[in-house]
Amino acid sequence: MAAPPPTLRFPAAGARLLQAGLRGWTGLVLLFLYLPVLVLVVYSFNSARLGVAWEGFSGRWYGELLHQTPLQRAALNSLIVATATTILSVVLGTLGAWLLHRYRFPGRDLIESLVNLPMVMPEILLGISLLVLFALAGVGLGFTTVIIGHVTFSFPFVLVAVRARLQGLDPALEEAARDLGATPWGAFRHVILPALRPAILAGGLMAFLLSWDELIVTYFTASAASATLPLKVFGMAKVGLNPVLNALSALFLLVTLAGVAFSASLRRGAR
Amino acid sequence: MKFHNLILPGRLAALLLALLPVASRGAGQLNLFGWSEYVPQPVLEGFTRETGIKVNFETYSSNEEMLAKLVAGGGRYDLVQPSDYTAEAMIRRKLLQPLDRARLTGLGNLAPEFTGRAHDPEGRYTVPYMSGSVGIVVNTEKVKTPVRGYRDVFQAAHRDRIVVVNDSRELVSWALYALGQPVNTVDAASLARVRPLLADWIKLVKVFDSDSPKTALLNGDVDLGVVWSGEAALLWRENRKFQYILPAEGAHQFVDVLAIPAGARNVAEAHRFIDYILRPEVSRQISAAFPYTNPNVAARRLLTPDELANPASYPSGGKLESFRDIGRAAADIDRLVTDLKSAK
Amino acid sequence: MTPAPVARDPGARPGTLAWLLLAPLLAWLALFVVVPALLLLGCSLGERDEFGQVLWGFSLENYARLLDPVYLRIFLRSLGFAALTTGLCLLIGYPVAYQIARAAPRVRELLLLLVMVPFWTSFLVRTYAWMAILREEGLLNALVAWLQPAWAPLGLLYTPAAVVTGLVYSYLPFLILPVYASVEKLDGALIEAAHDLGAGPWRVFPAVILPLTLPGIAAGVTLVFVPAVAMFAVTDLLGGARVPLIGNVIQNQFLQARDWPFGAALGVALLGLFLVSQLVLRALRPRGALRG
Repeated sequence: MAAPPPTLRFPAAGARLLQAGLRGWTGLVLLFLYLPVLVLVVYSFNSARLGVAWEGFSGRWYGELLHQTPLQRAALNSLIVATATTILSVVLGTLGAWLLHRYRFPGRDLIESLVNLPMVMPEILLGISLLVLFALAGVGLGFTTVIIGHVTFSFPFVLVAVRARLQGLDPALEEAARDLGATPWGAFRHVILPALRPAILAGGLMAFLLSWDELIVTYFTASAASATLPLKVFGMAKVGLNPVLNALSALFLLVTLAGVAFSASLRRGAR
Repeated sequence: MKFHNLILPGRLAALLLALLPVASRGAGQLNLFGWSEYVPQPVLEGFTRETGIKVNFETYSSNEEMLAKLVAGGGRYDLVQPSDYTAEAMIRRKLLQPLDRARLTGLGNLAPEFTGRAHDPEGRYTVPYMSGSVGIVVNTEKVKTPVRGYRDVFQAAHRDRIVVVNDSRELVSWALYALGQPVNTVDAASLARVRPLLADWIKLVKVFDSDSPKTALLNGDVDLGVVWSGEAALLWRENRKFQYILPAEGAHQFVDVLAIPAGARNVAEAHRFIDYILRPEVSRQISAAFPYTNPNVAARRLLTPDELANPASYPSGGKLESFRDIGRAAADIDRLVTDLKSAK
Repeated sequence: MTPAPVARDPGARPGTLAWLLLAPLLAWLALFVVVPALLLLGCSLGERDEFGQVLWGFSLENYARLLDPVYLRIFLRSLGFAALTTGLCLLIGYPVAYQIARAAPRVRELLLLLVMVPFWTSFLVRTYAWMAILREEGLLNALVAWLQPAWAPLGLLYTPAAVVTGLVYSYLPFLILPVYASVEKLDGALIEAAHDLGAGPWRVFPAVILPLTLPGIAAGVTLVFVPAVAMFAVTDLLGGARVPLIGNVIQNQFLQARDWPFGAALGVALLGLFLVSQLVLRALRPRGALRG
């Protein structure tokens, strides 16, 4: 149970004004965030191919999605890449966070800084430097190089999330496990890891999303066969506002909202 | 929360990683690297249907982009679509392999003016794909004054109503044409000469877009521009108010070609694709989707009168000229244009 | 139970198993972070040959070129755009994060998810939707023409204003989330105590709330500022590629001018700037038990 939520106390008249103001502001910002989303959903049903004018309601772009095999293939590629990225990022990030937190060794601070580097490095630089590396090493571009790129900028997020959670954990937990006879590894498996689950889930989700929507690093590390969805969309979108893309995005939105509703209901049930 | 929960997904991931590259290297594949807006999906599907060869199509929007990725990606592309001057440089640097002309039965379909050009006089490395020009497109409903050349486009009256392709070399060449200078002589002196003119011109431009300049014109955000002829042709199809004019001072004619990189793996498949493209019915499909100038005379005979009448596809008259490779000067051009653009 | 602030345990020395497990992390960092960074550095010291290939060598010519006022101007402009974007995100997003943290727990989660959901659609499609809204014959102008015809049409698309709008839009959640995390951890009792001591709300905010949420602000600012400096897609699409920013210039070097060494030098300079800013931010962050 968290501490009482922070509330600024105001003289009565001002308080209500401020509360209304804050609430209104939040509403406005949410409207701002959803404006383009609403636009694209509405236009996904516009029967016109080009231009802004509304020419009638039509579901044909959704039908065309079924025929767009390159898009479908790209979506599958994205799924493969994102899944592999998430798994590797979670493994690397969780282990890294635990080891950095638990142990002391020379160069630990340097390692911490290096871990933060991919998070602050602009994506274009990361993409290009990886391209240079792969070019010099003679490694052809493909799924492997894309996944390597994605994991490199994703796992720090997992690591940071897990690390933050580790810092909040009571060290007595591990001590108690050890006192009861567990090895450091046993303590990790049976006591620490379960406690880390929310952070691992959050970090994994973040890694999945980062990988799913990533364009720039993928641009430099992918081949034709391993083109992901954002790459394909970039190629298509380059030639003008394609209504099929609106339909695709609207579909993603629907799937995402459904997923959110589902997980929310799960959590409510679990409480 | 057993340890297994981490090990198993880890093993799966490793397995996945190991399998994927193998899976993509299967038999009957073609890695095509082409312009974004040049190879229609039905053509690719038709090819796959007939031959069973799967086509992996990756796109780029500039020759330099293609070169950068080709050189870095090393041998993963089987077929590329460079412009003539880029192909010239690639041939000199041995980046392309000679074609087996015996396997290309449709070569006779090509018009003689497109074969034997300066970049590849014997046609040993390249096969013309599509030709086009870079010219002026005008929304005649919005622009009533006559526009005959570059200087007519870049007028104060058209401030913020102009779209141009985002290609530094094109921009410089238009200024060179307007000044009556040779377009393939790019050195410090010629760049210094075009600088003041280009500086004025760039200030008048609203949109720089190499990928889809027609969008801004269709949306009414701009009224005229200097764009690829294929884009202009699509605009003319959409609405005849968009007229295409070859600039009087001179215009760039390009021939985009198909060529096989030196390190390509699926050479046989690449040849089959080239031969497929040379068929009149297939070439006709390409023209229908992307109305550039078709070098395939047999295909031209299959076009409708409307398509042949499109002034952007088959322009008459005009001083047309090819670009030649200018080597290091490309970097100098980029510096100049970046400088002028950021001076706003 | 409330996790009490923990003092940092210096840690034990790693055993063999721990070293074995540390190895993959170290290997990954070495191979895919350190080596590419070093390669970038090495590339920046080389030269471009006639054909655009890299001639490895040792030359500071590219760094000398950086000092050209053209590029310095572009650097400054990019930093300016990013700073403006960050400032706007802070002004717009902080109240939202605060409001969400004050809400009831279930509403809180719902609001957070609502903030994030738009970003699970494709970034490009969202940007194109902005183009549809902002252009001359677009939705915003349709609204303006209906309400106040004298003002129409507003030429918003292909201007810096459109670019900033796009940037703020793209990065707002990156600020809201860390700030929210910070505000949420605030102990309401502290604020009550400040009020009890007689401070009015206009005193409590800058004196108590703001400093305590500084870690969240710092994190949010980093997550917005850093990517915003190197962004090029939004500039190209919403700005009509008229004003080159540093991201555009770097992209140009690698894909158009094919002058990789110069592009690498630009990249190294950018990285240097960030490392410096990271050090500054780290120095500013409050240390100790309330970290994170």
